[in-house]
Amino acid sequence: MTDFALDKPGKSRRPDLMAYATLSLISAFCAVPFFWVLLASLDGNAQLFLSWPREWTLNNYVRVFAEEDGARWVFNSLFVVGSATLLVMVLAGLGGYALSRTRAWWKQPFLYAILLIRVLPPTALVVPLYKILLTLNNIEGNLVRIFVGGDTARAIMRWIGFIDGYLGLILVLATMQLPLALWIMKTFFDGLPRDYEEAAVMDGATMLQRIRRVLIPLALPGLAAAGLFAFISAWGDFLLPLILLSSPELQTLPLGLFRAFLRVNTIDYGFLAALAFIYLMPAVIAFGFARRFLVQTFSGGVKG
Amino acid sequence: MINLRNVRKFYGALEVIKGVDIAVQDGEFAVFVGPSGCGKSTLLRMIAGLEGIDDGDLILNGKRINDVPPDKRGIAMVFQSYALYPHMTVAENIGFSLSLKKVPVAEINRQVGDVAEILQLTDYLDRRPAALSGGQRQRVAIGRAIIKKPSLILFDEPLSNLDSALRVQMRAELQRLHRELKATVVYVTHDQVEAMTMADRIVVLDKGTVAQSGHPMDLYHSPDNEFVATFIGSPKMNILPVTLSRPEAGRLLLQNADGLSISLAGADANTAKGEARLGIRPEHLKVSPSGQGDFSAEVVIVERLGVETYLAVGSLKDPIVVRAEGDLTIRPGDRVSLTVDLSACHLFDPNGRVIRRPQTL
Repeated sequence: MTDFALDKPGKSRRPDLMAYATLSLISAFCAVPFFWVLLASLDGNAQLFLSWPREWTLNNYVRVFAEEDGARWVFNSLFVVGSATLLVMVLAGLGGYALSRTRAWWKQPFLYAILLIRVLPPTALVVPLYKILLTLNNIEGNLVRIFVGGDTARAIMRWIGFIDGYLGLILVLATMQLPLALWIMKTFFDGLPRDYEEAAVMDGATMLQRIRRVLIPLALPGLAAAGLFAFISAWGDFLLPLILLSSPELQTLPLGLFRAFLRVNTIDYGFLAALAFIYLMPAVIAFGFARRFLVQTFSGGVKG
Repeated sequence: MINLRNVRKFYGALEVIKGVDIAVQDGEFAVFVGPSGCGKSTLLRMIAGLEGIDDGDLILNGKRINDVPPDKRGIAMVFQSYALYPHMTVAENIGFSLSLKKVPVAEINRQVGDVAEILQLTDYLDRRPAALSGGQRQRVAIGRAIIKKPSLILFDEPLSNLDSALRVQMRAELQRLHRELKATVVYVTHDQVEAMTMADRIVVLDKGTVAQSGHPMDLYHSPDNEFVATFIGSPKMNILPVTLSRPEAGRLLLQNADGLSISLAGADANTAKGEARLGIRPEHLKVSPSGQGDFSAEVVIVERLGVETYLAVGSLKDPIVVRAEGDLTIRPGDRVSLTVDLSACHLFDPNGRVIRRPQTL
């Protein structure tokens, strides 16, 4: 520190410039695709190659929502990914705490075993996964049909079905994200002294009060980080919704994007760009919200 | 008052607290002191209720509280890390136990205000712990304890996170608080200086047993065993292996390999002859004019502090430390003649049990 402070300002200008130039280049490299998509989505006549729009228009966005089922896709994506994220946060919070505090012999083997879920490519497991979910779905469907008939059963299965239903996709997405989230929360709780809980015990807090008034507030940065990773990763997932969903009413944003791209007539780049930009936004917004917690979680736990 | 009767604790097959008996009177400031691993923190946590008691009785104000949950014992604890909740303000931290009990907000505010007054925290009530200094956090932790009006306050090494200047200040502060609150305190530390300066009663623990318990000066002047003798006092007491013999009735002759030969009066006829260990504090050895001392040795280290000088004599590995008044111009390599203050000699048997105390010599 002192050395830098004693340096004359002129002396360090050159390396500074180099650093800024490099950083600018990298930033530009990262930012250009966003601008490309944004420009193309506002272009009345967008083509495959980037060009400055001659005719500015919001028509592409209007079409996403008015002509196509855009609002439905956004809702489906937000609902499925949001539910999976919430589920991951609850399970990772409780599980991470337990894994951090237990001294059981299976702790290390378990922690490495669950990482396997993350390591194996989902594509390789798609067939067995589909079979299992299909079997569960059929059993569940038969059970539901005992109580209610035809159309009502179909409407119910759209929510709680394992295939072509919200629940199945939510559970599978959450399963994929849970191992990393558990690791994050376990590490986070490792860094959280037991003193906090013991102090709360001495103060007369019941188990519920300890969780609600001490542990959850203390764990919030870790939960936010785990939730953010789960959200971004699940948001970007394409394969699982493609395989598990078939009804048009259940389509998510990436599926909408994919099917718009596959249409037989000419490719509508303006429409695709608008849809892509809508698809980008939640991830960026989520990152903006959780950035502060990310830094706290990965640079040394709770201070106080 | 708090009473521990034959209290035991096991971790699996390992006995960590081996039948401890301790009594602390009302209003007393008791310090549990000992090296790390002696069980002092475990014992404190057993009193708090954070660790179970496997055997024996824990009695607070005449009631056996072995199985009473921590928050029902009327005991408060100040943690080593303070454990202040970072997401709460100072006021919320101090008032947390009341808010858990659903005490009305106005009443909580009044009591928090009173406590903050005592601890000089009034100006900081709206701050988060992260915005406080070490000493202030310490006071918040104490505030969180005293707002419960406990009959006993436990401190677990509360000063170990502070720098040495602040530690001296907080020692005085804690004593002032103790006087004002008239609370009964059990305080755990590994630092014998903290114990000596603050305690009404010191309990020295060694490997899960009480080595000795009593007033600091009793422990200093009349230790029951070699462990307490060397633990209390700084620099620590010198222990010299000696051979005892009884050349005439009523006298003991102590000799060692370095040519030390001293004779103590008033020998008890029961004192065994043979191997023993002489304990002598650094301040009870005097540098004498050459040839006039009880023994002589080579100086290996000289520490000159101005007001006093510490000499390490004999071997570097296991030196005898001498504390001399004033600034001595002795240099390493010099030979010094040393006189033993016969009235201050402790004698221990080979197992470390005291066989002669200074007062009886």
